[in-house]
Amino acid sequence: MDTLEICYMSAGDLSKLVQNKEVSPVEVIDAHLSRIQATEPVLNSFITLLADESRSAARQAEKDIQAGRYKGPLHGIPVGLKDLYNTGGVRTTSGSKIFDNFIPAEDCTVAARFQQAGAILLGKLNMHQFAYGPTGENPDYGHMHNPWNPEMVAGGSSGGSGSAAAAGQCTITTGSDTGGSIRIPAALCGIVGLKPTYGLVSRHGLTPLSWSLDHPGPMVRTVEDAAITMNVIAGHDPKDVASANVDIPDYRSALTGDVRGLRIGLPKEYFEAPLDPQVRKAVQDAVSLLESMGAEVKEVSFPMFNQSQAISSTVLMAEASAYHRDLLEKEGNQLYEPVRQRLEAGLFITAADYLRAQQARTLLDEELRRLLDDVDLLAGPTEPVTAPELLAPRVLAGEQEIGVVGALTQYTRPYNINGCPAISVPCGFSDTGLPIGLQLAGKAFDELTVLRAAHAYEQATDWHNRRPPL
Amino acid sequence: MASDKQLSKEEFDCLAEQLGISGDPAYVDELYSQVRGVFIGAQTIRNIDVSGVEPDMAFVPRVS
Repeated sequence: MDTLEICYMSAGDLSKLVQNKEVSPVEVIDAHLSRIQATEPVLNSFITLLADESRSAARQAEKDIQAGRYKGPLHGIPVGLKDLYNTGGVRTTSGSKIFDNFIPAEDCTVAARFQQAGAILLGKLNMHQFAYGPTGENPDYGHMHNPWNPEMVAGGSSGGSGSAAAAGQCTITTGSDTGGSIRIPAALCGIVGLKPTYGLVSRHGLTPLSWSLDHPGPMVRTVEDAAITMNVIAGHDPKDVASANVDIPDYRSALTGDVRGLRIGLPKEYFEAPLDPQVRKAVQDAVSLLESMGAEVKEVSFPMFNQSQAISSTVLMAEASAYHRDLLEKEGNQLYEPVRQRLEAGLFITAADYLRAQQARTLLDEELRRLLDDVDLLAGPTEPVTAPELLAPRVLAGEQEIGVVGALTQYTRPYNINGCPAISVPCGFSDTGLPIGLQLAGKAFDELTVLRAAHAYEQATDWHNRRPPL
Repeated sequence: MASDKQLSKEEFDCLAEQLGISGDPAYVDELYSQVRGVFIGAQTIRNIDVSGVEPDMAFVPRVS
């Protein structure tokens, strides 16, 4: 089989070939290592590549499968983890040279679950330093680049995960999402990114950015692969104080292709905010398609959307500065300057303002839950723009020029505040060939409905089959 | 700190010193700009009526 075809195959398809011994895990890993070698000089997706280790693991997986010890759909499938997921014996930098030599003693819960499922760790993926930025800038390990146009950002903070999945360097990657860091690079790189419900995927062993806003989750090329990954990584973990103890369904059971009767709300405020006309049209077309497939679409109002940036920023900055305060004092001069500035700016937030933001958070949560009593999903753009130029401070969104950080987190932050599941799925391309993402958000712990709608839309379109020109 | 409506450069310099923050003038000016943004955000939140609402500190999403 053509090695590029292996690299662009979904985990769902690849796993069947691996299980039937039509393709061996060794072939799979070799194909991906070749792809990485060919594309990495442009993309810079990886901080640490585990070539020898992954080949060795592939040989073991091949032996196990030949001997009838098949572990399931991720057995022999290459995975890349954002470099803030602790990996036992493998350095974990959080995107900073300060931790260039930090080698955790043990795996984080997600890494351990991947290993138990037989997945093969290809490497640790590049990220915005300490996950504190939405563009994928990193002076220590090099900036991340968008596979569709390397002059543009891959997005952040999980930028290496976005570029690696989009370019066929990994079958499955992971991100962490505090203000949009899974969904932003997913939308800008043209892949699927799922921010699960807060507490559904363990944060144990991940470097925190903001304890109450951090959500680990999958970044993949198809909705089915998001479901397959969730089947492995979701579930209660006593090591995470915020871990939810809920029943875990088979997420693949949601992939019916049927959206008849599904109620979708379109918050009117999303379309009053700064928004690129091409993104607006792509999202409206996507929602119209879902409607033509049997979903019921109606306009709704989400007034607190307009305060969501302020609420999220205040909570996030205060928590991030609290977590990183010792580092800031001891090694602040080694931080990327914009990251250092955000951490220092957070020190100016008073306890009273932090608590008031948490009070406002309660109100926003109540407003979103009321909305989601009337509809099953909220739809809108993931991003108001396509990928901005690398290091550009501002971007044009429709007729307004706005700051890049505010723009890229405009639509993603509300669902971090209330913790409900939200997915970004490709829904088109700009006339410059850059991807556009549709965001669908659902009720807490109702990933099944989010995946169901995203999958039905994906299967009715061919955006996910396009490949970047690399 | 962020509870004040306005933040002059002099007040900022004083607070920055208390927090142990220093840097070259261009860095400090940029930080001042960021902190003013923080204050604007805090003001936005203070304009929200939160009477009778408890902060959601142990945040766990509830099934609707």
